Amino acid sequence: MNHETFDARVAAYALGALDGEDRAEFEAHLAAGCARCEAALREAREALAALAREAPPASPPPRLRDELLQRLAMSARRPTREELRRTWLRWTAATAAAMLVGGFLVGGWVAARYEARLGLAARQVSAAREQARRSDAALHARLAANEDVLALLRDPATRIIALRGAGPSPEAHGRLVWHEQAGGHLVVARLPPAPEGKAYEAWTIAGGRPRPAGLFQVNASGEAVHRVHAPGPVEVFAVTLEPAAGTDAPTGPIVLASQR
Amino acid sequence: MAAGGADLIRMMASGDREAFGRFYDRYACLVYSLILRIVGVRGDADEVLQEVFWEAWQGAAAYDPARGSPEAWIVMRARTRAIDRVRSVRRRGETFVAPVDDGLVAAPPGPGGDAAERAADRGLVTGALAELPPAQREVIELAYYGGLTQTEIAARLDQPLGTVKTRMRTGLERLREILGRQAR
Repeated sequence: MNHETFDARVAAYALGALDGEDRAEFEAHLAAGCARCEAALREAREALAALAREAPPASPPPRLRDELLQRLAMSARRPTREELRRTWLRWTAATAAAMLVGGFLVGGWVAARYEARLGLAARQVSAAREQARRSDAALHARLAANEDVLALLRDPATRIIALRGAGPSPEAHGRLVWHEQAGGHLVVARLPPAPEGKAYEAWTIAGGRPRPAGLFQVNASGEAVHRVHAPGPVEVFAVTLEPAAGTDAPTGPIVLASQR
Repeated sequence: MAAGGADLIRMMASGDREAFGRFYDRYACLVYSLILRIVGVRGDADEVLQEVFWEAWQGAAAYDPARGSPEAWIVMRARTRAIDRVRSVRRRGETFVAPVDDGLVAAPPGPGGDAAERAADRGLVTGALAELPPAQREVIELAYYGGLTQTEIAARLDQPLGTVKTRMRTGLERLREILGRQAR
């Protein structure tokens, strides 16, 4: 698809007005890491945020501030990432249940005396719907990545390069689906999650010179799929453990490398 | 010199409640004005405002200054939440007759009273929006304040979808020029 198509969608996306296929395609494009669209979106959002100044000025009742600060004080200990994840899972399960219950109620119990509860169910259903829309976008992004891999595999010039674990992670292994013009996808398994403040960085090495090919993290089971955007000739492909911000030249131990 | 919005968010991320108070004082009026403009009813606006700032407190660690200013961060979050509220009220208006459980019944039934109508009819057009050609202003207002998608706007205005898309895009480009000029 021509990039012009995406340029034309930035404004509508920033406004939350993009729907259907347009939205799914644009989100997949963003998820693939388009810096140009990210920048355009940032500018569009800044302009739209400035529009808030044109709303008729109003002051919130002072009690809102007091209530919020009270609530903050009561939840003084901030939840850890793991707790947040569990809360999210519970919430997803609860909204899924609410969706079922809501559907059931709408189907069978539209009797006057249940209207109050139906109102509540409707709000839960709409929250669940919003949740579903978000997971839908994530699925679309994954689908786009998978299709990208498939397209690469159809090209006879694409090579599959095996990577073996080294140094601190001999168990790890990986495959690189690589095309000299289009870049590729790195799939890794059994790589332990990077310690706090660290990330894995991929490198393409040609003529003895390593070039950075992107940072990535693995999931809890040690798996990751990483899009490599740096096309060009490659003799060796390697992954090192680096500070989370990334480096221009490898400094940490090699955890995965291709064989010559 | 006072701490900037980004500093306050960083302090909030480390659990600084005093920083949250200052962050609230800095943005609450702006955010509340926008929310009220979108949801139209003070009771609803109060709830949405609290929801937005509570989320800001909880999500402060995820704020990335490279992705936008603190103002855009909080304002765009507020707009999304306010639109969510409007949409859930609107859906309920379509699905159920006279829900009675709380104060959410504020949107009068039938045409003429929903948020998108308000977006189009308020008539309080000043500033940068006022400088846009009316056709472009209309689609931007329906999306920004009314939470309508392009398809919904096309249906409401009885215009081809392509026309709506073009107006939205050129409208926002114009708006950025106008705001850029005002900032200079």
